[in-house]
Amino acid sequence: MSVNVLSRVAERVYWLGRYLERAESTARLVTVNANLIMDLPVRLPLGWRPLIDITGSGDLFESLYGKGHATERNVCRFLATDTRNPGSIINSIIGVRDNARTVRENMPRITFEYINELYLFARSALVPGQSRSRRGDALTRISRLAQQLEGFLSQNMLHDAHWELMRLGNFIERADMTTRIIDVRTVDLIAGGHELLPFQDIQWRSVLRSFYAMQSYHASVREPVDPPLVLEFLFKDERLPRSYLRCLNSVRRSLRELPRNGAAVDACDAALSALKETDVKHLGGLEHSADLHAFINACQIRLGKLHGAIAETYFT
Amino acid sequence: MTIDWRNYESEGLFDELVLPSGRARTGAGKLVQALAKLSDDELVERKTAADLAIRSMGITFSVYHEGTNIDREWPFDIVPRLIMKREWDEIARGLKQRVRALNAFINDVYHHRRSLRDGVVPEDYVLRSREYRSRCAGIDPPYGVWSNVCGTDLVRDGDGSLYVLEDNLRVPSGVSYMLENRAVMKRIFPELFEHYAIHPVDDYPSELAACLRSLSPRAVRSPRIVVLTPGIYNSAYFEHAYLALEMAAELVEGSDLVVGDDDCVYMRTIGGLERVDVIYRRIDDLFLDPRAFNKDSMLGVPGLIRAWQAGNVALANAPGCGVADDKVIYTYVPDMIRYFLGEEPILANVPSYRCAEKDHRDYVLDNLQDLVVKPANESGGYGMLIGPQSTQRQRDQFVRVIRANPRNYIGQPTLALSTAPTIAGKTVEPRHLDLRPFILSGKDIYVTTGGLTRVALRKGSIVVNSSQGGGSKDTWVVEPATRERLQ
Repeated sequence: MSVNVLSRVAERVYWLGRYLERAESTARLVTVNANLIMDLPVRLPLGWRPLIDITGSGDLFESLYGKGHATERNVCRFLATDTRNPGSIINSIIGVRDNARTVRENMPRITFEYINELYLFARSALVPGQSRSRRGDALTRISRLAQQLEGFLSQNMLHDAHWELMRLGNFIERADMTTRIIDVRTVDLIAGGHELLPFQDIQWRSVLRSFYAMQSYHASVREPVDPPLVLEFLFKDERLPRSYLRCLNSVRRSLRELPRNGAAVDACDAALSALKETDVKHLGGLEHSADLHAFINACQIRLGKLHGAIAETYFT
Repeated sequence: MTIDWRNYESEGLFDELVLPSGRARTGAGKLVQALAKLSDDELVERKTAADLAIRSMGITFSVYHEGTNIDREWPFDIVPRLIMKREWDEIARGLKQRVRALNAFINDVYHHRRSLRDGVVPEDYVLRSREYRSRCAGIDPPYGVWSNVCGTDLVRDGDGSLYVLEDNLRVPSGVSYMLENRAVMKRIFPELFEHYAIHPVDDYPSELAACLRSLSPRAVRSPRIVVLTPGIYNSAYFEHAYLALEMAAELVEGSDLVVGDDDCVYMRTIGGLERVDVIYRRIDDLFLDPRAFNKDSMLGVPGLIRAWQAGNVALANAPGCGVADDKVIYTYVPDMIRYFLGEEPILANVPSYRCAEKDHRDYVLDNLQDLVVKPANESGGYGMLIGPQSTQRQRDQFVRVIRANPRNYIGQPTLALSTAPTIAGKTVEPRHLDLRPFILSGKDIYVTTGGLTRVALRKGSIVVNSSQGGGSKDTWVVEPATRERLQ
């Protein structure tokens, strides 16, 4: 008897992978931003708004909280606990739980206990308007629980088609998040113009920290933090697990394990060759910020097409 | 203090384990002694261990109205219920006889209607039953069997005699709990298994798979079997997933299946469409196919009935089988057994009054406070009147509904359901119970060893349904205890 995965189940494990990654990276993003802000002078135009842009939810945020109300309190609430925001941490975790519920026959039984622990912790520990330090602790713990869950699955789940589909979700979400983080920080730098220039170094360091990649950068690049080198590192270093190249290669590897992968592999290859043909180092200068932004846009459109090809082939 | 069986008050009822004197029934000696040896703390400890096992094994059932928290743990009582093998063999024989007659009846209803013409069952009752499906007429399911999986509810009255309460012919549930209860018992009371020769129950998933395979329209070595579930919000979803896993069958929802132009059923997979041979459906008839029945059904598969009629897929149970799962038709089952099999019924029906017949109706209306009144087509204990526990207002309401639609009601005497010792706090008290064995009919016929014992956890209650405060017990079919006799 063949062991093909039902299309509906395929879609659920894929989204389980995406939501898990999204919950983890959003928690990380808020933590890193809080640290960054403490390092910047109060008069600077920077603040919490970039996080809204990174998550691509500007319109929704403004409709809920009004224009110009991107305060720390509002943004944190919107990203962490607001159930009206489909991309909030709590909704991502609910997404993990609901998708896992329907595919629990395909996972070790105890997985559900890990997921419940994550959900119950997030629900009790994330409270709107809580102090910075409590929020920081809660987010760090959520990020850890999410990574623990991912690690558990990696070590214990059968590495069959279900697993590959979940990995597709993981890596597409991760690639997407990587480009968004780079994008918004560079756009900041353009918007902030010369006033922000002295703090450019801090900004790029915060980008690296968003990927837990400060030490990795030094170990790999062996140069001071420099925008062209950081970009090259984040986009093209195959050894960095969250680099855009590594994510795409991982997607490709998982796709190779699945049937009928033609269209999706083609979409993945298109994204890979576009990356290869682009001199990202060259886009590092402040004067090339607009080009960098355009390139990232193109990356996201390719990721969208890749998702589309996967959905078309496997979920319908 | 530990359990003192002399203080166990079964209040003049029939208790499955303990005699009125406080002594154990034949065969229950070792069990009763073992329980009495446990201290209060040990008893509570075992109970806690069972709850923990149930939680970690993820045994749950769902309750519709609970919104987000849809999974509840399955309430389980650690004191098993015993049935002696010799009594059980007779019951199993009776169950097979009954299900054979019921399937013969259903097949007759959808074909020649001989039994209706011969007046065994009034034609009018059958054709106007809510569960009669005219479009199933003339269809030939494999072996002439319509109800492949049947769950028959048995109860014991105060004098110890056994009755069939109802035949659940449509989509009976609970068998997964029967299996899990045994697994839990082995974990928390392993020492008891040393004293008894307890018949195993865990061959059920293989028997079910074999039964379903025997229905396959294609003569292939491993026909594709799927379990069709309404989804995670269904109260029995745990069971659907459990059985699918145990049978290595695919658990599908309606949207996973599609009927092709060739009138065959396929499931959508990442590798493309795959042919399906047998569908163990856990969805009611009316939701199976929006083209054939309920147009608004989102759970079903458009064209499924057409594929079934064309003989390209087997549906278990067959649509329309519920026509015999009607509390009024139930009253005719003993006659069906005589008519179709030429045998005397081995298992008795509960004496029943049909409200459609004037003298029966008058009796029911005059004696509502002593009777149980049941609607023809409800399950789960809903829509019933339990006379002795009812208020005048409820009785007045039933007078109205019975007069308005007498065909839809039967009355039965309130049975003094038998009891068994059940944990209540730090001791045991008698609680009422019933028994649901499962009967599989395909090429062969098979009866579970024992079944699911359901117990009303509330003192005095006779409602055993899990949705209404019921729990369950492990059911042991035991050989005469040789070791007990040797000592």
